[in-house]
Amino acid sequence: MYINREICTGCGQCVIVCPVQAIRLVDNKAVINEDKCVECAICYRNAECPVKAIRSTRLKWPRVIRSPFSNVIATHKITGIPGRGTEEMKTNDVTNRFNIGEIGFSIELGRPGVGTYLKNIELFTTQLTKIGVAFEPESPVTALLIDDEGHIKKEIKNEKVLSVIIEFKIPKNKVSEVLGVIKDIDKKIDTVFSVGIVSRIIENEKLPIIDLLKQEGFNIRPNAKINIGLGRP
Amino acid sequence: MLAAGINDKYSDSRQKLLKIAEILNQYNPTNIMPKAGWKFSPTITATFSDIETVKEILKVLKKEDLGVSIVVSGLISEIEKVLKELGLNLHTIHYSLGVFGKKELLPPDKILEITTMCGHHCVSRNSVEYYIKLIKQGKITIEKAAKKLARPCVCGIFNTDRAIEILTRLTN
Repeated sequence: MYINREICTGCGQCVIVCPVQAIRLVDNKAVINEDKCVECAICYRNAECPVKAIRSTRLKWPRVIRSPFSNVIATHKITGIPGRGTEEMKTNDVTNRFNIGEIGFSIELGRPGVGTYLKNIELFTTQLTKIGVAFEPESPVTALLIDDEGHIKKEIKNEKVLSVIIEFKIPKNKVSEVLGVIKDIDKKIDTVFSVGIVSRIIENEKLPIIDLLKQEGFNIRPNAKINIGLGRP
Repeated sequence: MLAAGINDKYSDSRQKLLKIAEILNQYNPTNIMPKAGWKFSPTITATFSDIETVKEILKVLKKEDLGVSIVVSGLISEIEKVLKELGLNLHTIHYSLGVFGKKELLPPDKILEITTMCGHHCVSRNSVEYYIKLIKQGKITIEKAAKKLARPCVCGIFNTDRAIEILTRLTN
């Protein structure tokens, strides 16, 4: 994004709407911190700039990668996949992406509202590959992996985005190993991350894996997303 | 939601999604995806403030039997009860384990309660603080502030009723 200082009136509306506090007023003019800016375009769409000083600019590689991971209406031209994540479990009654006995994970780096450098992806993926997780093939993050050891391209590591979702699944008996990775990175990472766990539910059985999570020191939140099984191919 | 490459290959898939959008819209949603999005989005999202309304909607969707995936988001205990009453099953669940890492970077919980209503993180902490200040100064009503805060959330999942409730608590 770009703010034309010549016409900026210093009203500060863009400062207010920026989700990552990348804009501030200097000498009564709005200035974007290029490193902090995640190219979400929320200032462009929602600041209601009275003089239209906020402009959308043509981004070059590697900065261009910020947009699809930050701008909710952008598509992933680089990966060929629209949106920040996949359908996950939302269409599982149609796709069977997660079968009985499989557990899905979605680890969203930078959420809620802090943002993350892409280099943080490797903190997880280099450890998760050793466990043998199956990364979601349609995930934009999986498309960034360049080898079987979970590395990403060097030139994109310092690009900052609003959030990235690492999606994968594993057999139930490997859940504890993944939780171990989460515990380890919890102490090291320079941003926040949210963790979601997906499971099929067997009719007339109690909700799955809660006991295992408790044993490992994790508690589920009282709210969840539930697919109610009305979809079909 | 239409499953990509499966549901959306049928010519009537958009009609089915529009039918769902119309049903959701009939039950006075607190917020709903703008109509412009109904034409191309694979998902239609809407929020409601009481579980009884959600139960009525699910009853209709079950009867319509459109074959489109439906996801309900909310308190697990409430959803389980309603589904049981309607003879519907829980097919797949997505639990949240919460937030980890450098939590000192997060705004106070009272601000997070509002910003996290948009799952794409489009609602800024600064805007919540700004509107709280304006409400306290009597320059904007709580209802109007809630609507302003909801604007960046293009999916229509930001619950304005809940925002009103939280803003009322924070400004009294």
